[in-house]
Amino acid sequence: MLAALACLVAAATSYVPAMRAKHNVALGVSSVEWLRHNGGNPIVSEIENWYYELNAPEKGGPALTTLPKVGVNSEGEGSKAKVYRPPNVAPLIHPALAGEGVWKKAAAKAGPQPPVLLTTFRSDPEYPQFVAGVAWIDSSRTHLAYVPGLAEPPEPLENRGSGEVPLAMRKRLVATFNGGFPLETSNAGLIYRGKVVETMVNGIATIVEYRSGRVDVVRWHQGPRAPADVWFAKQNLPPIIYEGKLNPDLSDGPEWGETVNNAIRVWRSGLGVDAHGNLIYAAANYQTVESLAKILQRAGAVRALELDINEDWTSFITYRHPGALEPSNLLPEMLRPPERYLTPTNGISSPST
Amino acid sequence: MVGLPRDISPGARSRRGFFADLLIAIALAAVAILLAAGIGVVGFLALLVLLVLSVWIGLEAAVVSLMRRRRRRSVGLGPR
Repeated sequence: MLAALACLVAAATSYVPAMRAKHNVALGVSSVEWLRHNGGNPIVSEIENWYYELNAPEKGGPALTTLPKVGVNSEGEGSKAKVYRPPNVAPLIHPALAGEGVWKKAAAKAGPQPPVLLTTFRSDPEYPQFVAGVAWIDSSRTHLAYVPGLAEPPEPLENRGSGEVPLAMRKRLVATFNGGFPLETSNAGLIYRGKVVETMVNGIATIVEYRSGRVDVVRWHQGPRAPADVWFAKQNLPPIIYEGKLNPDLSDGPEWGETVNNAIRVWRSGLGVDAHGNLIYAAANYQTVESLAKILQRAGAVRALELDINEDWTSFITYRHPGALEPSNLLPEMLRPPERYLTPTNGISSPST
Repeated sequence: MVGLPRDISPGARSRRGFFADLLIAIALAAVAILLAAGIGVVGFLALLVLLVLSVWIGLEAAVVSLMRRRRRRSVGLGPR
């Protein structure tokens, strides 16, 4: 008993300051993250796996009659100018529901060439109640920025900022989304503002932003250092889609990280690029790595990686009006509030026009 | 070296025992912290151990007090 008390006092010297530090998640979530970062990752993952296996959804169930409303209506803003617009996502379940797979613009006055389009569709005929949210981001009209959070990436980091989307960026902010696993659990690299924060690893899927502004998702093969033309690069697990094909190892558990394994159905998110180099983000509850990859592939992604998983970390937020006004989650079931990235938080990726 | 006095009061004996237990506990905690993957694991397991031990001690105390009450009651109801 005394030994346990002594251990608890020692642990409290780390736990209490960590909980007193600035953060914007519930105490329970912060406690779990503290445990994960202090050697408890296998314990947390094992408990998560048990929990999700016990609460796994059952196949079938009553059919949905409507889909969650996303985006704004585009009537009256048609354009005769020839601009690229992605083809609608072909529904998987028939009859299709109203608006299923049809792209809608995210902002009210986005004009004839909206930078962000949104849609939803039922992603799995065996589970007809699952709805995937997908966003298409026009790379020619947006600029991607990685905004460090309060604690991710960990210290030391130059130009951390205040852990939220900077005020100067908000004027033209169109969307924000979660930035991928913490470096400690991804065991992969990060280049921020042209400098290596964490050593890059060959073979890992990487979101890259070049100094020219071009964005891509690649399988990294340029070694541990930062190439001269790369401004930002974040790695996360192996690619889930590469050159249009699903990764054949999607059913291999250990390859998909130390946290919950690949086949557990949880909130998952991913990011890809289409054949024209535009970004495609997808998120949905009750997904495996494989089903997430299939969602991204159906939405047009030719290369993609998995981003964060679990409800506490999955967020895609669009802003209906300039100045980051009227923020809105891609899916109404997303746990975190739409204001998430406008207050200090963890890592963020935010496209702005 | 100064030998510890042997003829001591029961209070002093119990304090001495507690001090020895405390030293052993600190040594055990130090070993656990050194061997564990991180302080989080140590804290988590210590919390579990404390919870289990608290329940154990609570149950033990409850059983002892119940048995005492029964004994008293049976003494009270005996033949006069």
